[in-house]
Amino acid sequence: MLKVENVKKSFGAATVLNGVNLTVRPGEVVSILGSSGSGKSTLIRCINGLEKLDAGLITVDEFDVSKPKELAEARKRSGTVFQLFNLYPHMTALKNITLAPVEVLKRPRDEAEAEGRALLASVGLGDRADAYPAQLSGGQRQRVGICRALAMKPRYLLLDEVTSALDPEMTAEVLTILAKLAAEGTTMVFVTHEVEFARQISNRVVFLEKGTLLVDLPTKDFFDPAGGLAQPRVAQFLSKMRKD
Amino acid sequence: MRFTDFTSYDLVLLAQGLATTIGLFLATSLIGLAIGALWAVIRFYRVPVLTQLVAFLAEILKNSPVLVQLFLVFFGFPAFFKVNVTPVEAAVITLSANTAAFVYVIGVSAIESIAREQVEAARVFGLTRWQVLRHVIAPQAAAFSVGPLVALLVNQLQVTSLISVIGVVDLTKIGNILNLRTLKPFIVWSVVGLLYYLAAKLVATLGARFEDRLRAHSAFRGL
Amino acid sequence: MRFDLTILAPHIGFLAEGALLTVQACILSLIGSVILGMLVAIARTSAAGWVRRLAFVYVDLFRNIPFIVQLFFFYYGLPEIGIYIDAFTTGVIALSIAGGAYASDVIRSGILAIDNGILEAAEVSGLSKRKTFTRIVLPIALRTSVRPLGSVLINMILTSSILSTITLNELTGSAKIVASDTFRPFEIYVVLLVVYAALTWLVSLGIGLLHRRLNRDMLEPVG
Repeated sequence: MLKVENVKKSFGAATVLNGVNLTVRPGEVVSILGSSGSGKSTLIRCINGLEKLDAGLITVDEFDVSKPKELAEARKRSGTVFQLFNLYPHMTALKNITLAPVEVLKRPRDEAEAEGRALLASVGLGDRADAYPAQLSGGQRQRVGICRALAMKPRYLLLDEVTSALDPEMTAEVLTILAKLAAEGTTMVFVTHEVEFARQISNRVVFLEKGTLLVDLPTKDFFDPAGGLAQPRVAQFLSKMRKD
Repeated sequence: MRFTDFTSYDLVLLAQGLATTIGLFLATSLIGLAIGALWAVIRFYRVPVLTQLVAFLAEILKNSPVLVQLFLVFFGFPAFFKVNVTPVEAAVITLSANTAAFVYVIGVSAIESIAREQVEAARVFGLTRWQVLRHVIAPQAAAFSVGPLVALLVNQLQVTSLISVIGVVDLTKIGNILNLRTLKPFIVWSVVGLLYYLAAKLVATLGARFEDRLRAHSAFRGL
Repeated sequence: MRFDLTILAPHIGFLAEGALLTVQACILSLIGSVILGMLVAIARTSAAGWVRRLAFVYVDLFRNIPFIVQLFFFYYGLPEIGIYIDAFTTGVIALSIAGGAYASDVIRSGILAIDNGILEAAEVSGLSKRKTFTRIVLPIALRTSVRPLGSVLINMILTSSILSTITLNELTGSAKIVASDTFRPFEIYVVLLVVYAALTWLVSLGIGLLHRRLNRDMLEPVG
């Protein structure tokens, strides 16, 4: 279980997270919606330990990310996919994927490579294993990014606006992969602007507004006029997103 | 008191050496700036033959050791041209030419960095090539070059130390003399090094101040 | 006097030996500079303030004191403290230390230029700080540093001529001997200028090739 309890985080005078609570159970797909600046990405960065919490507690399968000793274990259990891919530019797609399994999990190289190739094949990049990031399109890079996270066999996949830097066609490529992962029961925390897609694949949708969790409802209820939509901010946000 | 001890007169020697170093540095920098700028202008006018000659000369001067250039002038010229060349003359000729080569490179890149359209536009108004150079290019190129020129001068100050090898009694030569007499290399070369360091910092500081002033003056031009 | 290169013919073997010594000294010093440069670059990005300051003082001092002064400091100084090494070793040490100051600047900016997101990706994947440095940071920084490190090497080739002042018969040192044997300093130093220029030109060609080869995968595919 991934638990976020009363987490607070501010940068200087700006409070970005103001007491957020969230629980993600294995097998769930939880989408986090909210306008830009609402703290969505910061929440992800707190979960994977890139930002230190000012207050509160985040545990990944009981491992406290604020404790340096437990953070390593927590990070093994979560995999992050970044908005700007952040692939290692000097390594091939395959090398990007196998680096951490070999170095961190101490997996034998040939095993890791076989799995890496299988992962690449599963996202339709079976023939691009030896390509360098610069030789791939944005959508292909992000698919490699997903494989890199999956190669660590994480129990929770953290996705930070993974399609925001992509054009619609490439976005579709990536979302297809994510839908497949969701169908296979991968646990995901999905920060996104893709409202329709969130609706299709999530079990739950939460809405962040100015650092607080305004709504946390099963997907069906979130989009119900009597549920999430009853919140004026949510209704406003959704209608704006649909217009765009 | 032993013969080899430091004496207070050594301070005078050091001061004299430093004065020679700085004097030659200033003289050769000025000559080098003038010649280098002239070379850049020759290139701007695309003077046949001269342009190629200047480019070749600058390339050789830039890509060969100053020490060898000094040897060529000091030992080679008298042997070949049957002229008398003193160490100071050889130092002035070599350092000026070397500085000129780098000034030329900085000048050319400054001129080229100024958009071609600006030149075209000015030409459309009927300005001559000289007027374009003087009123449009020169002020901008000068402002653009100040930073690289200051870095060059800081470097050229250090290069002057090589003239000690052909016998000019500059700061390094004084270091040699004191080193041989006192046999205290660490002290001697630390002091000499420190003096060079302070001189370099002085040049860098003055250069930076000059650059700031120039920036402030040309701010309205969007530089 | 006629410009006559044939008088050099009997001395070509001797000069080639000198050139070989120059090449050896430069290769060893380049290796020394890059290793030292890496360590100092790491120190300059260190979390401890005093380590950063110490590294900065080293870079600042060795960049602002003439190489010949540094060389004499080591050449005359080391025996003083009981370290007796030959001129070649002294020269390589001095060149490495001076070159290291420049190399550290190059590598440091290579490290600072690395996209922070890449480091975050490495961090969340659980790579240790050391592994991140050796597998991600250094390889990227060294690749982007190939060209500027090439300039450091070219500078080193030119600077190595100064080793002739501590009795090392590298290219310039052996040319000096040939000049005094043949009484033809003009010819020999003209040839020497061209040889150095050709050497640096070859090196810059090689650097260009290496840069393209190492970074071919980092470039966007054409078309």
